[in-house]
Amino acid sequence: MNEIEPRQRDAGRAIKAPQNFAGGLALAGVAGLALWLLSDLNAGSLSEMGSALLPRALAIGVGSLGLIIAGVALVRHGSAIEKTELRGTVFVLLSIGFFAATISSWRIGPVNVPGLGLMVSAPFAIIIAGFATPEARLRELLALAFGLTPVCMLMFGDLLNLPIPILPAFLIDSLPEGWSQKLVLRVTAAVMLCISAGLFATERHLSNSTVDGKQD
Amino acid sequence: MDTLVSNLSLGFSVALGLQNLALAFLGCLVGTLIGVLPGVGPVATIAMLLPITFSLDPTGALIMLAGIYYGAQYGGSTTAILVNIPGEATSVVTALDGHAMARRGRAGAALGIAALGSFFAGTVATIFIAALGAPLTRVALLFGPTEYFALMVMGLVFAVVLAGGSIIKAIAMIMLGLLLSTVGTDLETGDQRMTFGQPFLWDGIDFAVLAMGVFGVSEILRNLGQPEERDVVRGAIGRLLPNREELRQSIAPVLRGTLLGSAFGILPGNGAILAPFASYAMEKKLSKDPSRFGKGAVEGVAGPESANNAGAQTSFIPLLTLGIPANAVMALMVGAMTIHGIIPGPQVMTGKPSLFWGMIASMWIGNLMLLIINLPLVGVWVKLLKVPYRLLFPAILVFCCIGIYSINSQATDVLLIGLFGFVGYLLTRFGFEPAPMLLGFVLGKLLEENLRRALILSRGSLSTFVTEPISAGLIILSALLLIVAIIPNIRRGRDEVFAE
Repeated sequence: MNEIEPRQRDAGRAIKAPQNFAGGLALAGVAGLALWLLSDLNAGSLSEMGSALLPRALAIGVGSLGLIIAGVALVRHGSAIEKTELRGTVFVLLSIGFFAATISSWRIGPVNVPGLGLMVSAPFAIIIAGFATPEARLRELLALAFGLTPVCMLMFGDLLNLPIPILPAFLIDSLPEGWSQKLVLRVTAAVMLCISAGLFATERHLSNSTVDGKQD
Repeated sequence: MDTLVSNLSLGFSVALGLQNLALAFLGCLVGTLIGVLPGVGPVATIAMLLPITFSLDPTGALIMLAGIYYGAQYGGSTTAILVNIPGEATSVVTALDGHAMARRGRAGAALGIAALGSFFAGTVATIFIAALGAPLTRVALLFGPTEYFALMVMGLVFAVVLAGGSIIKAIAMIMLGLLLSTVGTDLETGDQRMTFGQPFLWDGIDFAVLAMGVFGVSEILRNLGQPEERDVVRGAIGRLLPNREELRQSIAPVLRGTLLGSAFGILPGNGAILAPFASYAMEKKLSKDPSRFGKGAVEGVAGPESANNAGAQTSFIPLLTLGIPANAVMALMVGAMTIHGIIPGPQVMTGKPSLFWGMIASMWIGNLMLLIINLPLVGVWVKLLKVPYRLLFPAILVFCCIGIYSINSQATDVLLIGLFGFVGYLLTRFGFEPAPMLLGFVLGKLLEENLRRALILSRGSLSTFVTEPISAGLIILSALLLIVAIIPNIRRGRDEVFAE
């Protein structure tokens, strides 16, 4: 699996297999953390296993394997660590974080975040995630966000009735008497689909006209 | 024989109910739809679609999930043939000759033979499961905690040996998975283990969260790092039915592939992965003109595809009879069953016969539906394949977020899929496979429980695992297997199988 690099190139390197070295140390680190977290628990005996016995044994196992892998990496040649795509990781994690923070309302101390529901959280999450790639185009992402969100709203909220907030909290509070949430959901979904269709049409029109322009 | 027939007819009476039929159809359709998307394998597909089965009754939910599984599996083969991107390890071999056929204008025939071979293999595998289910369950009922523990150890050893790549890394990943499974409240003592004092960790790490993070999100992170190269077949798909010559050439490979796949699929650990590789190697060896392979030999599609599907199906056997998942997909099935309040194991067959046999019957129905759905819809799949990844991944990501939130209505779960996605991405960057970790995670709770009970029975003596005959046999088998795998000569041979 691991490609062995030419010896000449990494002759000067102290660590022969950086990928394994880092991986092994990371495992040892996780094992160390687990052992520390387990330190105040009782291991019991074999005939009466305590809560810490198995996890502690496993942590020691993971840690020693990690150290062996890292140790071997000092003497045996192996792969280098590939470059990590920073932009993609940051935007994807940001998008997940945004969704988690805004889908429902929560408060920690003085911070009070109102729930925005699927209707608002999802399109923003889609657009943030979209920028994870350098090829991102805002117009296209807007069309996607306005097209996909109503589909999700109808499928998860209306059809499957999953327990997920669909409409923003402030909208639910200000609903006029007699308006059902389902009705509002369906109407907004329809409006969003129309916007998306409009965006897709103009997007296609624009890209077609630029292609035509180049041909001229 | 009589019981086999009566069991199967009970199963078909359940599976042919209008609602279950519709669910199987929907499952196959949606599974294929998502599975066809490049870069989305069966595990990610099932993890993503898990929530849509929540509102169903357990039988319907499992029937739909099984449909999703076959659909995703078949979708993977479609992408392998048309785009040369195998959705997962089992369709790697299909890409070799399938895509070569597609480039020669025989894409339709390759898809057709894959579907026909898979259908045949699925039919045989269904009968196989039905026949083996009852006797294996009877054996499983004799197992006590000592035997169960030994059996799980053997399953994990198989997983280590059959996985590609470094053995020591695979062992480390399994142990890490087991370690993660111990997070949360210990049911025996009530102690909080590794929870950082956080209430959302008291129940432990949710399986769906781990799976979706490690397979859904980190897959996206990985794909974003690679420049997109897609070699979608531009030309016509061609006639879908293979011609007479191709059919004639395929019959023997389909039969051999089905046998190989059925046998490999039962192995605990991921046997199903090995089956298509073995079938490809076998067909190449048996062929009069091996040089045709890799350039579009129809046998190179027919054999492995049948093996793949047979293995995918028989890997349900350890789960349904022993309650032990053989691979990551089966691990997800355990998660799904637990959510519906069913604990997989021998008691399912005796306690809920209509669920058990209904699910088995629906496997065959699912295979038939795949044949019906896929051949006419190939055009749609080709269109889907042309959707650029830059639009696909935000959609996948939002599906994951919605899905995971709707399981427990907890925003922390959404954050955790981000965390596990990042961790899974780092793991692959360090050259570790996340699949064994997931398997260890699923087996963890069961393993600890049985270990604890076995040790209480033996008054704290570890030797019980080698003095009890059945357990001793399983442990010795695992030890032998591990030793054989570590001997370098044999390992090199194994690596060659995977490199091919």
